[in-house]
Amino acid sequence: MDNREIERLVKEAVSLGKKTLVEPEAKEVLRLASIPVPRFQVVKDVTAAVEAAGRIGYPLVLKLVSPDITHKSDVGGVAVGIKDAKELELTWSQMILNVADENPVAMIEGFLIEEMAPKGVEVIVGAIKDEQFGPVAMFGVGGVAVELMKDVSFRLAPLDKKEAFEMMAEVKGFPLLTGFRGGSFKDLDAIADVIIKLAGVISSTDGLKEIEINPLIVYDEGAIAVDARAVIG
Amino acid sequence: MGNNNLKPFFDPRSVAVVGASDKPGKISNIIVRSLKAAFPGPIYPVNPKYTSVEGLKCYPSVQDIDGKVDLAIYALPAGATPDAIRSSSGKVGGAILVSGGFAEAGESGRALEKELKETARHEGIRIIGPNCMGIYDNVSRLDTFFISTERIRRPAPGGVSIISQSGSFAITAMDELASEGVGVARVISYGNRMDVNESDCLEFLADDPATTAVALYIESVEDGRRFVEAAKRCSSKKPVMAVKVGKYGAGARAALSHTGAMAGRLEVYRAAFKKAGVVELAGYEDFLAGCKVFGKDLRPEGNRVMIITDGGGMGVEIADACLAMGLEVPPLTEDVKEAIAPLFPQYFAIGNPIDLTGSATDDMFAQALEKAMSSDGFDIAIVAALWGPPALTDDLPELLSEKAVFTGKPVIICSPGGEYTRQRLGLFRKFGFPVFTTPEGAVRGAAALARNRKRADG
Repeated sequence: MDNREIERLVKEAVSLGKKTLVEPEAKEVLRLASIPVPRFQVVKDVTAAVEAAGRIGYPLVLKLVSPDITHKSDVGGVAVGIKDAKELELTWSQMILNVADENPVAMIEGFLIEEMAPKGVEVIVGAIKDEQFGPVAMFGVGGVAVELMKDVSFRLAPLDKKEAFEMMAEVKGFPLLTGFRGGSFKDLDAIADVIIKLAGVISSTDGLKEIEINPLIVYDEGAIAVDARAVIG
Repeated sequence: MGNNNLKPFFDPRSVAVVGASDKPGKISNIIVRSLKAAFPGPIYPVNPKYTSVEGLKCYPSVQDIDGKVDLAIYALPAGATPDAIRSSSGKVGGAILVSGGFAEAGESGRALEKELKETARHEGIRIIGPNCMGIYDNVSRLDTFFISTERIRRPAPGGVSIISQSGSFAITAMDELASEGVGVARVISYGNRMDVNESDCLEFLADDPATTAVALYIESVEDGRRFVEAAKRCSSKKPVMAVKVGKYGAGARAALSHTGAMAGRLEVYRAAFKKAGVVELAGYEDFLAGCKVFGKDLRPEGNRVMIITDGGGMGVEIADACLAMGLEVPPLTEDVKEAIAPLFPQYFAIGNPIDLTGSATDDMFAQALEKAMSSDGFDIAIVAALWGPPALTDDLPELLSEKAVFTGKPVIICSPGGEYTRQRLGLFRKFGFPVFTTPEGAVRGAAALARNRKRADG
C-alpha cells in the first residue's frame, strides 16, 4: 500500500475545497492500496473516448464523472456493455441528454471509459471514521438497494482476517457467496483482503472520512472494485 | 489512570458526608443513616449548623476532622460545591457528588461543572458524579444511594457489579434483583462523569476479585477507543455485558456514502462491543436476565439447549423462544435416549424437550437432567418445573442442584405459575439457580450466556 501517495492525493483534493473524491480519484486511492480495479481512463470528448476505448477494448462501460452527482445510475450516468465505437458515440450523446434532464446544473468533469467487469456476486465494502470510535469497516450485500435491505455488518478497524470473515458470515446474504442455489463458492479471501485494506486506508489517511466500494464484484477467484466513492475534508 | 486512583471509592476506611442534615428525609440524612447501618469505618458528618447528626459527632468543616478522609460525599447545592472541594484540599482522597444542577442543567450549570473540574484537578481529588447516586457496595459496605431501603431494596452480596450512567436505572434494577434474590458486588452510578467514567470503572472491576461479571448501562461513552480497550481487558477476565440506550438517534455525520448512511449509533456501538468482547443486552429485561445468569461462574461451551419439563406446552414454547433468540434445540442423541428411556413408560415419545408429563417425580427430573447434560450434545439446560404434578415435592430444587453441580453446565430454572409456585421460587434460588417466571425470561438468560460463549470462542 502506498500510504504517502494516498495521503498526498487526498490532501490535494481537500486543499482544492473538494468534499468528495469522484470515482476515478477514489479508484486511484484503491489502486494505490493494492485493491484491484478495472482498467479505466477519463476523457473529455467523444474522440478521446473512442481512442481510449480502442486501447481498453470492448465491451466497456461509460460513466459520468461529476462531483455533484453521488449516485450516478440515478441520473442515467452509467451505461454498460457498450460493444463498439458506434454504440459508444450514441450512448455518449444520450447520457449527456439524461444528465441535462435530471441535474442540469451538475458540473461534469468528464467521462470514464472502463473495462467491463464480468458478472459475479456484488457486495459492498465501506469504511468511515466515527467521531467517537474512530475507523469502522462495513461489509454487506451490494447493489443499489443496499440502504433498503440494510444487510450489512460493522467492525472497528483495525481488523484481522478472522474478524473480516465474521463480518461476512453475519449478513443474511452470506449464502450468496457460498453456493446458494447451485451458485459457486466465491473468493472469500479476496473479500477479506479488500475489507482489511480499506479499513487500513481509512485508518492511515487524514482527511479521508468515508470510502466505499459498491459494488465489489466477487468471482470464484478474485474480486474487483467496479465503483467507488469517498468523502473527504 | 491506574486502579489505585479509585481505591478511595471502593475501599474507603473513613467517610465524610459534607452537608449532612439531621432532618429525616433529606438526601444527606438518608446517606448518613445508610452508612450508619452498614459501613464499618468512621463516619464524619460535616455541617457547621449541627454538632451532631444521627447521633454522630458533626464537624464544622472537613478540615476539622482528625486525620485523612478517604472518601467524602457532597450533598450540597451545585453552586456551593466548588468551594467545598477547594476547602477539602489535602484532606480528601475521593469525592462523590450526588447533587444535580451541573452540565445537565444548561449553560450556567456547564460553567459550574467546568469550574468544579478545574478545582478538583488542582486539588488532586478524584470525583464520581456530579448528578449521580454514587456507590452501593457489598464489599466495602458503602451505600450512598439516597433512596430509603423501604422504597428500594438493596441486593445481597453477589458476583455481578453494575456500572450505570443513570441512577434511576441502577436503583430500579437493584430493587428488582434484591426482590428476586440476586446478589451484586458493587453498583456504581456515575452520572455526569465529570472525572471518573465507565472506562475507569471497567479497569478497576477487571482486577477486582469480588466482581465475577460486569453489567453496564450506557447512554454514551466518553472516549470510544479507551472504552474498547478497557472493556476488552475486563472481558478477557470475566463476562462483560452492556445495554446501550439512545439507539436510534440520528448520526451526526453527513451521509454521502451508503456506509455513512447506515453506520448509525447502534451499529457503531455494536461494532465496538464486538471488538471489546462485550455481550450486548437488548434492554432492561435483558439486563436483569443477564445479572441473574452471569453471577454464577459457569460458561457454556455452546448454544445448544436441553429443555426438561413436566408441561409439554411450556416445553414447546421454550423451544420456540430459543429458536427465535438464536439458540439451538437439537434432538436427543441415541445414547441420551437410551439412558433416559428407563425413566418413562414404554409408550412415551422421548425428545427435546423432554416432557416428564403429569407423572413427573423429583427423581425423574433429577435423572433426566443428569443423563441429558452428561451428553456432549448440550450446553445449557432449561428446567421448566410446573408444580401441578402431585408427586413433586419441595425437595426438587436440592435434588436438581446436586445434578447441576455434577454436570458442571449452566442450568436455568423456568417456573411460571401463581401463588403456590411463587412461594417455591425461593427454594430454587437458595440452591443457586437463576430463576425465571416466564419462558421468554429464561430463554433471554440462556441467550445472554450463549452470547458470552461465542465471544470466548471467537
